Amino acid sequence: MARVFHATAGSGRSASRRAARTEPAPAAAPSTTSGSGGRGGIVAGYLAPHPPHLVYAENPPQNEPRSTGGWEVLRWGYEELRRRLRAHAPDVLVVHAPHWITMVGHHVNCVPNPRGVSVEPIFPHLFRYHYDFRTDVDLAEAIVEEGARAGLVTSAMREDGVRVDYATIGALHLANPDWDLPVVSLSANNNPYFYSDASLAEMETLGEATRKAIEKTGRRAVLLASNSLSHLHWDAEPDLPEDMGVERPFTHAQYAGDMELLRTIREGPTSRLKEAVPAHIEATSSETKAGSLTWLMAAMGWPAIAGDVLAYGTVIATGNAVVEWVPT
Amino acid sequence: MIPAALVPAMPHLLAGDPADSWAELAAATRTVGDRLRAAGVDTVLLLSTQWFTVLGHQVQCDDRLRGRRTDENWYAYDYGHLDHDLAVDTELAHAWADAIDAAGMQARRTRYDGFPVDTGTVVASKLLDPHDEGRWAMVSCNLYADPAAMAAVAAAGVRAADQLGRRLGVVAVSGLSSGLTARWIRPSEDRVEPEHDRWNRKVLDAVRAGDRSAVLAMREEFAVAAQADSQFRAFAFLDGSGAVDRPGEVLAYGPVWGTGAAVVWWGEHTNTRET
Repeated sequence: MARVFHATAGSGRSASRRAARTEPAPAAAPSTTSGSGGRGGIVAGYLAPHPPHLVYAENPPQNEPRSTGGWEVLRWGYEELRRRLRAHAPDVLVVHAPHWITMVGHHVNCVPNPRGVSVEPIFPHLFRYHYDFRTDVDLAEAIVEEGARAGLVTSAMREDGVRVDYATIGALHLANPDWDLPVVSLSANNNPYFYSDASLAEMETLGEATRKAIEKTGRRAVLLASNSLSHLHWDAEPDLPEDMGVERPFTHAQYAGDMELLRTIREGPTSRLKEAVPAHIEATSSETKAGSLTWLMAAMGWPAIAGDVLAYGTVIATGNAVVEWVPT
Repeated sequence: MIPAALVPAMPHLLAGDPADSWAELAAATRTVGDRLRAAGVDTVLLLSTQWFTVLGHQVQCDDRLRGRRTDENWYAYDYGHLDHDLAVDTELAHAWADAIDAAGMQARRTRYDGFPVDTGTVVASKLLDPHDEGRWAMVSCNLYADPAAMAAVAAAGVRAADQLGRRLGVVAVSGLSSGLTARWIRPSEDRVEPEHDRWNRKVLDAVRAGDRSAVLAMREEFAVAAQADSQFRAFAFLDGSGAVDRPGEVLAYGPVWGTGAAVVWWGEHTNTRET
């Protein structure tokens, strides 16, 4: 089982891979009216889980480790997400992710051009990702302001030395691997050692503040909630990380809990999730405890619609679903 | 007897304008460093709960960890920017990983350029070893493994060090209660909420009494009642090293941004504390 992993970030091999790719020109932040010419506001929201295994399995040039694939059904769901996302013609992607853990307040990345190598301390053998993207700073600052106006503790993070986490990168890469749209990245104001869902009320407020900021800036935005579902998982790994022969739900109860939530999502309306999400957290230790899904629903105004489940699958036993909501 | 210590993980101990408790905790951590050096320790086995992982037990195998950490929460403060230069005892690290595997667990040998050393490790190492002269063997804190596994991991480290003839110290970098104050505060406002404070003191009383069984027995309840840092896996790790079956000396206890933090020493008492 034991192996030595050592790769140099930015090694000649990986550098040549990156150089061989024609990088899209980083997108400029849009002006204060929708750059697409369409109506502004939130045009779609996605549950966009971030296991680094999915990026690893895709073998993008930005990520150093190489795989033989795996987790195809979830990745096919993301392929459909990308097709739909393009059709929505957004100006900006706004992502809320649970692995930028901020213990005091809700932070918004206001660095204009975050770039660097994100070596993931939990999964360094799978995720050493070279990122380089553009932030929609105007919208980011507007979210900070609206959040503060709503009574939240908010911070505009302007330190380019802060490493961008894998949940932010993972959801953004899988939704838009060309990275040709500006981004706004929000932290999760969680203490990972909390045993309750007490932060969900704040996530509703943050979602409402996000919507107001989007409306004020006239952006046409797609939102990404970077959460897995059931979150019990193995504490060891097979020699081949993408060995699908051992990939399965942690327990039937975890799977059943996910299916119950997904049934509620597919039936709609989203207001049912106000009760279903806390119940799901209680039943499955769901990562939605970090609040991304609640933030997304609140930002969209808990629309009276059903979600479209594009894919479901497990990753090291955690449940993961790719879901789309399009407000009418 | 292996000298051992519990030291805090929060970066506030390095603040230029600290709260009284932060300064006391920092001074006590420096005292632990002095005592480890006085004990002739070759290498410190280090567990930091801020290097939390979920798959296997990661053992740091890079021989030198140089860099600057910008903390993702505390970047607006002086203590949110931490330079580090750590020498890793790679011979012991590999032997430790082998011993973890041999014990039926999964070791993961970690050696990657740009690997982000956690804030707790950097803070503890700067206070314990201000001149970067020491050597470290570091393991992650698996939050999905049974806490008892951390004891087995520490025991594996001790066995590996014995085989190599290392004079060992063991340090766990962890807080006590983790009920962080969820707003920006002035250092003078810092305090632990009463119920968490009561739990922290209860645990420390058992530590002072050398009653390791009592500490282990209350660990789960402590974790729930006071949101103990990583369910207090740190004590399980220290226990596995065999170093805490004796009274611990509580050198300092106090709040760090609402969390409870303590510096505890198990070993020979030497009067080397600096002011």
